[in-house]
Amino acid sequence: MPTLVGIFDTPNGVAEAVARLKGRGFSKLEVYSPAPFEEIELAVDPKPSKVRIFTLVGGLLGVVTGYALTIWMSLDWPIVIGGKPFASIPPYTVIAFELTILFGGIFTLIGLLAVGRLPAIKLDPGYSARFSGEEFGVAVEVSERDVAEVDGLLRSHAAKEVTLVAA
Amino acid sequence: MTPPPAESVAAMIRPTPATPESPTNRDVMRVFMERPGLGWLLLVGLCLAGLAGGAATWIYQIYKGLGIAGYSHPIFWGAYIVTFVFWVGIAHAGTLISAILFLFRAKWRNAINRSAEAMTIFAVFTAQLFLGIHVGRIWKAYFILPYPNQRALWVNFKSPLLWDTFAISTYTLISLIFFYVGLVPDLAIARDRTTGWRKVLYGALALGWQGTSRQWKAHNRTVLHLSGLATPLVLSVHSVVSWDFAMALVPGWHATIFAPYFVAGAIFSGFAMVLTVMIPVRRIFGLEHILTDYHFENMTRFLLLTSTIVGYAYGIEYFIAWYSGVEAEKTSFYLRAFGPYWISTWCMLIFNGVVPQLFWFKRLRTHVPTIFVICTLINIGMWFERYVIIITGLSREFNPAVWGHYTPHPFELMIVAGSFSFFSILFLIFLKLFPVIPISEVKELVIHERAHAGHGKHAEAH
Repeated sequence: MPTLVGIFDTPNGVAEAVARLKGRGFSKLEVYSPAPFEEIELAVDPKPSKVRIFTLVGGLLGVVTGYALTIWMSLDWPIVIGGKPFASIPPYTVIAFELTILFGGIFTLIGLLAVGRLPAIKLDPGYSARFSGEEFGVAVEVSERDVAEVDGLLRSHAAKEVTLVAA
Repeated sequence: MTPPPAESVAAMIRPTPATPESPTNRDVMRVFMERPGLGWLLLVGLCLAGLAGGAATWIYQIYKGLGIAGYSHPIFWGAYIVTFVFWVGIAHAGTLISAILFLFRAKWRNAINRSAEAMTIFAVFTAQLFLGIHVGRIWKAYFILPYPNQRALWVNFKSPLLWDTFAISTYTLISLIFFYVGLVPDLAIARDRTTGWRKVLYGALALGWQGTSRQWKAHNRTVLHLSGLATPLVLSVHSVVSWDFAMALVPGWHATIFAPYFVAGAIFSGFAMVLTVMIPVRRIFGLEHILTDYHFENMTRFLLLTSTIVGYAYGIEYFIAWYSGVEAEKTSFYLRAFGPYWISTWCMLIFNGVVPQLFWFKRLRTHVPTIFVICTLINIGMWFERYVIIITGLSREFNPAVWGHYTPHPFELMIVAGSFSFFSILFLIFLKLFPVIPISEVKELVIHERAHAGHGKHAEAH
């Protein structure tokens, strides 16, 4: 299927065009922008990103690992230190805290890669170096007979040019 | 500019007119794409010499043993630990700027956060060198990690030194992740605009970033969560470092104020270092319109705040030493100011507690040469602060019969100087390899402003 890429100057134009396209049933679209803009994100997909689940799982895993590691290792070869119990919670809380942050952070990075579909070996055919400049792109996958309609739709929403990319 | 890939495809409805390059891209890319100047090469040469001196001394120390350092009983924590704490402190500014100021939505941080984060990472690397240098038998340094071994013997998790291992390692990794995540969109910008080895390098590091709305949304979430995680982390790291001292019974160390006192000192020294480095960088690379006096003034306000906290901590330490009535504590603090280490103590008190108070005057807050001089004094003062805490503490413990004296040996100072070269060299390479200003974040503001100014049609970015 061919892809139409509309090029925009403002995030508002993109958001309006995306809302309109989705309303007309063209939901196979990708928006490229040089920076994050809330209005675009709301128009494309208002649901919060799933990265948060990764952070939560990582953090919980970290705190459990922290206490498990310290307590098990202290009991595996028990030595009395400073008259404290073998499994001594207050000092181990420091380790558990650090591991919560560490695992949470690593899992958040994994979340970014998984949700953002990174690393990608090839860039999309609709992508252009202009989108890492100051312009925005809306790439819509359409069937042959809808090309004219989507072209007109993008232009009516302040797309300053529209390019057709072969599938 | 690289032609857009769309040109290569078969069917096109209309020809693509050439688009002007984004001024933000151009300004920032210029800094790292231009051929290095003579000044840069001279600085790198100088740093390489310092690094070679430090490295040779370290190799000699590994060969001969720690005896070549100036240690004398009872002082076996010397310039290496002082410099370790100093560099860990420096490492606090970057994460503070990128995490805490992010959570507070302080938009002015955009201009400085990249360079501050880079400094954080390089400072942590430098600090970690000192763990290896200080332990002497570097080939056994892995003993500090809990690894399965034949004796089924584990590390002592009740020791603050081990907490430190975990805190510093976590801090290194999280800062690195934070730095890298922020860098990815900018690397994609560089990838789209370079050729040759740079394109390969940026292309690989950018991971195929295209700035799709899905990627940006995930990226925003990631930065938010990393900020949320890094905020308590940055406060915990120097607290844990302070507990290396506060958990011991040494007079002058065993104080509950140590954690907040160290954290304030770390932020203080970190901001001072960021300013000391960024003032010349801004001048050399002509970044005055991105990194304005307004940013510098905001940072001096932080210096003023943290200097006041640190000054208060100095005062409270003396008050508690007197108020506690503990003889050893009183003696230790009296000898700090009037004993053999009085020069270090007064350097610390004046450079950290008194001089930065000049920032109450707006005229001095906005006068860049004054800022530079005061920040340099703060860097010196903060090194001396750690020197005072560690050396005077250890040299004047409970029993006067085992009091001692320590002066750093030239070998130790060679290694300390080498660490400054190591830090500088990493930063100089960073300047010529990566965007020193977060381009996407600045662009977000630029596009916002343009959209509000005239709905994008006529208004230019500048």
